[in-house]
Amino acid sequence: MSRDPALMRTFRVAKVTTHAPGLVSLYVEQTYPITPGQFVNLWIPGVDERPFSVSDVKDGLVEISVKALGPFSRRLVEVRRHDWLGVRGPFGTGFTAAEHGLLVGGGIGVAPLRFLDRVLAAQGLSRRLLFGVKSAAELIFPAAYAGTAELWSDDGSLGERGLVTQGLERALAAAAPRVIYAAGPEPMLLAVLRLARAHQIPAQLSFERAMKCGFGICGQCCMDGAGLRVCVEGPVLTDLQLHQVTDLGLPRRGPSGRRLGA
Amino acid sequence: MPHPTLVTDLCGVRLENPLVLASGILGVTASSLLRVANSGAGAVTTKSFSVDERPGHKGPTILSFGAGLINAVGLSNPGVDAAVAEIRAYKAISRTPIVASIFGRTVDEFGAVAERAAAAHPDLIEVNVSCPNVAAELGTPFEADPATLAAVTRKVKAAARSVPVSVKLSTNFGFLARAAQAAADAGADLLTAINTVGPGIVIDTNVRRPVLANVTGGVSGRAILPIAVRAVFEISRAVRIPIIGTGGVASAEDALQMLMAGATAVGIGSAVYDHGVEVFAAVGRGLTAYLEREGLDRLDSIRGAAHVA
Ligand SMILES: Cc1cc2nc3c(=O)[nH]c(=O)nc-3n(C[C@H](O)[C@H](O)[C@H](O)COP(=O)(O)OP(=O)(O)OC[C@H]3O[C@@H](n4cnc5c(N)ncnc54)[C@H](O)[C@@H]3O)c2cc1C
Ligand SMILES: Cc1cc2nc3c(=O)[nH]c(=O)nc-3n(C[C@H](O)[C@H](O)[C@H](O)COP(=O)(O)O)c2cc1C
Ligand code: FES
Repeated sequence: MSRDPALMRTFRVAKVTTHAPGLVSLYVEQTYPITPGQFVNLWIPGVDERPFSVSDVKDGLVEISVKALGPFSRRLVEVRRHDWLGVRGPFGTGFTAAEHGLLVGGGIGVAPLRFLDRVLAAQGLSRRLLFGVKSAAELIFPAAYAGTAELWSDDGSLGERGLVTQGLERALAAAAPRVIYAAGPEPMLLAVLRLARAHQIPAQLSFERAMKCGFGICGQCCMDGAGLRVCVEGPVLTDLQLHQVTDLGLPRRGPSGRRLGA
Repeated sequence: MPHPTLVTDLCGVRLENPLVLASGILGVTASSLLRVANSGAGAVTTKSFSVDERPGHKGPTILSFGAGLINAVGLSNPGVDAAVAEIRAYKAISRTPIVASIFGRTVDEFGAVAERAAAAHPDLIEVNVSCPNVAAELGTPFEADPATLAAVTRKVKAAARSVPVSVKLSTNFGFLARAAQAAADAGADLLTAINTVGPGIVIDTNVRRPVLANVTGGVSGRAILPIAVRAVFEISRAVRIPIIGTGGVASAEDALQMLMAGATAVGIGSAVYDHGVEVFAAVGRGLTAYLEREGLDRLDSIRGAAHVA
């Protein structure tokens, strides 16, 4: 049968790397080709299921990096090697590789850009990394990025003190990249989008919305405007596609579909 | 001969084509419904909504099993006020007819949600009395008892005022013709058939437990097409009101089966997974090509054609 990413398939976790309390990378066997920016649905049997970006693919293993935020992700960072995990996907549309990219990541949004960085490197494409976190303990694989990324932190515990978008402003003033890639909290993405438009540089941004299916039928993740599905047309959307989106920066919709605070 | 037309009259509502987005698929927001309408659907149906907001079941809620989908979303919805706001927003930007799908925990709640839905002037109201995924919480679906089904239908009809009302049935209780008769006698203007089948269970053999958080879920897609065609065939013999034939339709050939079984319109849901939102335009083109090939100018010529004496 042809590939059917909506089937449930369970795997034993092959490896777990703990970066800091509540911040881990999990590894499971790779069975399908995956593009940077695509995501998988992770099921903890008997608990729940949520979408997570793939943060790398290497040596036949898929890496997923998780930050403990709420009930589900707190359970996920407790998962051990050999535990069973349901993995569905990959879902969504990823980043398109191009020369002279500027990769801007915020918080756990660094995850999909880590994978993109490795794929760009393998294709011999030049790029520049700008990562921002609240504090040093929030960066996955800090050692890997010590020399290669320009780092920013809210509290100054890592790299320069300030927001990663300050780094972006400075970088854009110095030299124009061909494309800006970004993933992180929505306020950060909006700031990146504004700067990209001001400098007329194409941008590819990875968004999050509450999801139920992940494969385009439940309608839970649709953005207002043209009704783009974050799980199919996204999660990576271009600056052009984002002209058709009217709910950027609004309070998110909860699992019922109601906009919180509305 | 004139160019064939797919225009369909559904209880006085004019559809550009007979293809209706089924409830629960891309039906949460106005923008999503608009997109499906602009992709070639003749009408769109909202996700079923109730008086109170519901988050739905934990995940997984929707899976493929290789021959269709199984789901137990748990009737998540933002509650009637937010759902009605989406209907109003949709109507402000689209002329494609919209069906408001409603449900309640009691006969009175069906009436209350119908009344508030009707105030937003949807083109039709569809009464979901057949969702198999909330039995643990809401009890056996209302369709299971003809007297209760009739009571719900009368309540919604009274509350809906001039908006035509469809009652949505499943094949899960075995006496379909009797249920259809009960709904029609109680004043239903049309029927939608079928809701998901079963329920079923998918077990993950590694972890040795059911995959859906709700354990059981309703089966849809490819696997249920012949069951849905039979249901429409049977209902169209029992009652004279129009039917939105739904279940497993993914191609013009499938839609033709529904029409020949006696459906006036054809619902499409799960096929969006395999074929994308483009499925509506593709099936529509296929229906037009069929009419051209057969030298027919409208679908009326084939509706119910499979009912040979
Ligand atoms: C396409 C996609 C890719 C993702 N990739 C990753 C990833 O690589 N790593 C990772 O750790 N997580 C990722 N997530 C987020 C993940 O799916 C969960 O939402 C997250 O783990 C929180 O879930 P929870 O149940 O633990 O907490 P919840 O109880 O759902 O939330 C905990 C806190 O986070 C807030 N919150 C939840 N969801 C969002 C949201 N979408 N936007 C803003 N705030 C929110 C809540 O308000 C609450 O304060 C991704 C989500 C999507 C849609
Ligand atoms: C994910 C999903 C959610 C659904 N939600 C609803 C719902 O809220 N109300 C309803 O009446 N039917 C619901 N249904 C049933 C569909 O409307 C339809 O009757 C059924 O899926 C058969 O059609 P299909 O095979 O084309 O999907 C849902 C189906 C699916 C797959
Ligand atoms: S999560 Fe279901 S349509 Fe995107």
